[in-house]
Amino acid sequence: MQQSLNPIRRAKMRVTQKRSELKQFLYEAGNLVAFAGQTFREIFRRPFEWRETLYQCYQVGYKSTFLIGLTGFIMGLVLTIQTRPSLAKFGAVSMIPGMISVSVVREIGPVITAIICCGNIGSRMGAELGSMKVSEQIDAMEVSAINPHRYLVVTRVLATTLMIPLLAIYADGIAFCGAYVAMNIHDSTTFRHFMVAAMTHLEFLDIVPALVKTVLFGWVIGLIGCYKGYHARRGTESVGIAANSAVVTASLAVFVIDMLAAQITDLL
Amino acid sequence: MPKEKNYKWKLGLFAVTALVVAVAAIYYVGKQKNLFGSVFHLNAVFHSVSGLKVGSNVRFGGIDVGTVDDIHLTTDTTVAVEMVIQHEVQRFIKQDALASIGSEGLMGDKVIVISPGDSGRVAVRDADILQTHAPIETDQIMASLKTSADNAAVITANLADIASRINHGQGALGKLLRDTTLSSNISATMKNLRKSTAGLDSNMEAAKHSFLLKGYFKKAAKQKEEEQKKKDQEEQKKKQDELDKKAAADKNKPSGKKN
Repeated sequence: MQQSLNPIRRAKMRVTQKRSELKQFLYEAGNLVAFAGQTFREIFRRPFEWRETLYQCYQVGYKSTFLIGLTGFIMGLVLTIQTRPSLAKFGAVSMIPGMISVSVVREIGPVITAIICCGNIGSRMGAELGSMKVSEQIDAMEVSAINPHRYLVVTRVLATTLMIPLLAIYADGIAFCGAYVAMNIHDSTTFRHFMVAAMTHLEFLDIVPALVKTVLFGWVIGLIGCYKGYHARRGTESVGIAANSAVVTASLAVFVIDMLAAQITDLL
Repeated sequence: MPKEKNYKWKLGLFAVTALVVAVAAIYYVGKQKNLFGSVFHLNAVFHSVSGLKVGSNVRFGGIDVGTVDDIHLTTDTTVAVEMVIQHEVQRFIKQDALASIGSEGLMGDKVIVISPGDSGRVAVRDADILQTHAPIETDQIMASLKTSADNAAVITANLADIASRINHGQGALGKLLRDTTLSSNISATMKNLRKSTAGLDSNMEAAKHSFLLKGYFKKAAKQKEEEQKKKDQEEQKKKQDELDKKAAADKNKPSGKKN
């Protein structure tokens, strides 16, 4: 049927289609901003859901420790092994700890933590809230005078915002251990010497922006995970769609924030 | 709704450990920047700091004892540098200590090097101003290199000139190397010289036999003979002494063994 239309009409149809896609995107973006605004407002409304917040912190933080630790260890190990040949070419093997510490603290630790959490936490939140939405539990809450936004979204967003910086600190620390192990493959250094060499190159300007960045990562991961679940459509498959798009969108958002943060840190 | 009991202590453990790691790291980095702990300030004034930066290390006796806290221009030609230094080294830095700017490492990062003063002097006080001596700038090295290079250029030009003149047979050296007539002249001269010395020899022989000079020559020959005799006698004596010594030593050896 498309073949029978003349080119001008076909072009017109495509324009209309694209326009509606753009509209849809803007609609989503607007919704997300409104969602973020509402979440922010609800944080300061009493009563605060302490128990649920703590439980979510436990779920986000403690339950991810092993995953983050293993990833951090491997990243430190691999980074050291990969960096070594090029630095050894300049006879600058003693610079490896400094280089690893700066790159891990500034970039690798926060970003790896955020990406792992996108997959681990973002998807869980998307699926959890999505299925609640599909099975009309959220509507039921509203009827029974519990503010679902405050109970479900605020607690989760706060949990990720608080816990992901802590996870990033874990990842940094364990990545240092991994780097130390990798250093000892070719050279033999004491742990103390390694840590001193690593720390001499670190400054507050490396640590503080990285921590601020992870707070933003946590906030965005929680927010997008909850948003995608909260706005799931009807039907079983929309739970899967919500979980999937929560992961994808949150990962993208993490990288965009990372890019902006790198630029801002560079200006400092 | 929490679906697990007893999660709170795990959460607490997690949060406390992470915070301890963070605080330890921040304290450690801060310690290196001398933000915490007891410190004192020193100042120094340079004409140029050659790229020293705030946060650069201050060294005393090769040890990092502090950092540069502030660098600012005071006049159009002087730069004031403020240093933060650990309190424990204050008593080792005397009032006539010298501050200079050195460089370290592969990339040539700048550091302030404080050399200790006279051990009899009083230690520095807080906010004292240290004497400095000017760092050697790469520009200065380049300038001195340039004069050497200029001199080398003049010298090599002269050498080239001399070599070309030698090659073209000018001057005494050139003549010596290049001129064939000179060498034939020299060989002719040598021939003549040989002829004349042969003539001189026969003249001398004739003189020996002439009665006027015969006595003198005889006397000289006699003296020579006597000297020769004396020499021979002395040599013989020496030889005899050595033989005696050897014999004595040989005697001692076997007796030593017996004992």
